[in-house]
Amino acid sequence: MSVLARSVGNAFRNKVRTAAVVAVLAVAIGLALSMLVANQAVGAKVQELNASVGTVLTVNPAGGQGFEGGGEPLTAGQAATAAAVPNVSSVVGTSSLRLRNGTEAAAQAAAQAATGTQTGPGGGQGGAGGPGGASAATLTTSLTAAIDAGTLGGRNQAANGTTGSTGTTAAQPARSLPITATGTGGEVDSTGKALTITEGTGLGDYTAESANALLGTTLAEKNSLTVGSTFTINNQTFTVAGLFDAGTTFGNNALYVTLPTAQTLAELPGELSSMIVTVNSLDNVESAKTALQSALGTDTADVTQGQNLESAVSSLGSVKNISFIAFVAALGTAGLIILLIMVMLVRERRREIGVLKAIGAPNRTIGLQFVLEALVLVAMGSVVGAAVASFASGGIASALISTNTSTTTATTVGRAAGGPGGAGFPAGGAGMPGGGGFPGGNPLGGASQLLTSVTASVSPGVIAAGIAAVFGVAIIGALVPALLTARIRPIEVLRGE
Amino acid sequence: MIEVKNLVRTFNSGDRTIKPVNDVSFVLEQGTLASIVGKSGSGKSTLLSLLGALDKPTSGDVVVNGVSLARMPDGKLTEYRRRDIGFVFQQFNLIPNLSAVDNVMLPMEFAGVRKAERLQRAKDLLEQVQLDPEKQARRINRLSGGEQQRVAIARALANEPKLILADEPTGNLDEQTGDHIIALLSALSRDHNTTILVVTHDRALANKTDRRFRLQQGRLTEEPVRAMV
Repeated sequence: MSVLARSVGNAFRNKVRTAAVVAVLAVAIGLALSMLVANQAVGAKVQELNASVGTVLTVNPAGGQGFEGGGEPLTAGQAATAAAVPNVSSVVGTSSLRLRNGTEAAAQAAAQAATGTQTGPGGGQGGAGGPGGASAATLTTSLTAAIDAGTLGGRNQAANGTTGSTGTTAAQPARSLPITATGTGGEVDSTGKALTITEGTGLGDYTAESANALLGTTLAEKNSLTVGSTFTINNQTFTVAGLFDAGTTFGNNALYVTLPTAQTLAELPGELSSMIVTVNSLDNVESAKTALQSALGTDTADVTQGQNLESAVSSLGSVKNISFIAFVAALGTAGLIILLIMVMLVRERRREIGVLKAIGAPNRTIGLQFVLEALVLVAMGSVVGAAVASFASGGIASALISTNTSTTTATTVGRAAGGPGGAGFPAGGAGMPGGGGFPGGNPLGGASQLLTSVTASVSPGVIAAGIAAVFGVAIIGALVPALLTARIRPIEVLRGE
Repeated sequence: MIEVKNLVRTFNSGDRTIKPVNDVSFVLEQGTLASIVGKSGSGKSTLLSLLGALDKPTSGDVVVNGVSLARMPDGKLTEYRRRDIGFVFQQFNLIPNLSAVDNVMLPMEFAGVRKAERLQRAKDLLEQVQLDPEKQARRINRLSGGEQQRVAIARALANEPKLILADEPTGNLDEQTGDHIIALLSALSRDHNTTILVVTHDRALANKTDRRFRLQQGRLTEEPVRAMV
């Protein structure tokens, strides 16, 4: 019988006690693994948030997001000015277009002509923007929007026009949302985050006119388009160069063309709807924001941080720290449990250790036997603990995040709701039928979702790393009692005879 | 050859100092079968522990084949016990959750004997001490006292030691099995040149040894064979 076999046998010597020890270890190990999973998930989220929104500033025409309406559109000259501001690493201009299906637009125009103006708050075609607002150009397309009006957000009442307090009760034709087309000077979305292209390629040179476009996956699916397919905007044919996934249904009901192409389609050469300014470091964001606002002038441009989640991200950082401390504490607890159990076992088996020494067992063999026995117990505890972690880690991560970010999120969201600019494109037309806002319309409204959408998935790598740490601690915990065995002199325990 | 020189072992018990082994000296040639008799508490087991390097003397020395145990470091003493000594304890001291055959294999495992070889040798030894083959795989706590004693003797023989120290090796055996064990020890001494020192109350066993010692109040005296009869 080898040392390992003897250790396994010893681990099961007292089955009731073994079960109790494994149960206690499983709780500690499960907690440690859950905390590690939460830590990894939150860490990844913080990294993602920092990478995507941390260093990005958005420049819109002054008042462009408010109900009072925006000012003059931004220009290429202002983009050059922005690029010259210290610590600005890149400036990407965008030009927003609103596309409507040509057939639907004609049908709705005919229906409006027949029924008169819509008066219900949720009904009717999107009106014009705020007073003096810079409207996004509306163009016709062969594409059909992937989202029917009111199907998201539980605000479908407006779809049939029956609930408006002063609205008519006349049946309304089914409507779809417009499609967002964005001319962009770089392969980034409206928040400055790199587009996730799932099929095909990008548009190559985003500063040149091109007949290629990138389509959101749901928009392409709705229109049965794949890479290489064609569609039209204002009767101009475009080829699908690639598909992207924005991660949201609204975000995927959109397409991207190059900036000059959008400006040509809108017949607004040189004009920009917004600029996405990337700052070279998170530390320089505040100073760059101030300098940028000063350079562009408060009367012509509003500079906002892409998504002002700094405090929220900091809160997530706290969650990460807390989860790490809890991981270390749970790990230490597991080690302590092993230490105490093994000390107890060594004391209980002093006579046996003495006998083994009397018949010539070296200290290292006896020590190894006890360490292996501890590892057998830890292995069983780890199996149960991993199962516990796979069920508990999601809940624990959510509980940690909701506890630690609720205040921050409330503040952030509150500021978002009350801040300048509620919904829609800069001065864009609100009031689409039952709509829930345009893609990316509310720059801060997604804060809560962003913070709480941490997916604590139990990856084998994280579990393996956690279990390796548990085994490391268990070895340390078991070494102390194993070394104690070296101090046992055989005659002391055999003298009892 | 074992040379015991002025061996003393003292213990402190409160204000008193006890000397279970008091200036003991003797020489045993290799292959001798010797016995020590004496009353309970006379220090027989303590002397055996000193000879087997389980304990360190207060003074004096045990020299085995020219090597002093008193100056040997702990690691070397362990090696000495593993390679050169076979113990038969009065209380057997077997590992309770292991089988008979596993107990006999233990010293061989520590000595690095290959598994197949030690298994075969353990079975052979258990046969030699007349343990039923079907009981060889039984756990120790499911064997009788006599059977456990035979397993303890088989374990002592496992590494073919040069010196066997046995504390009442026939104490729990019936007369027939006891005689067999005595014959086995005699054969080992005679055929394998093994030195065997037994502590016993069994006069029959003592009478069959080559040399007999009596331990009285820590002092050892050798007695002629006739005196024991």
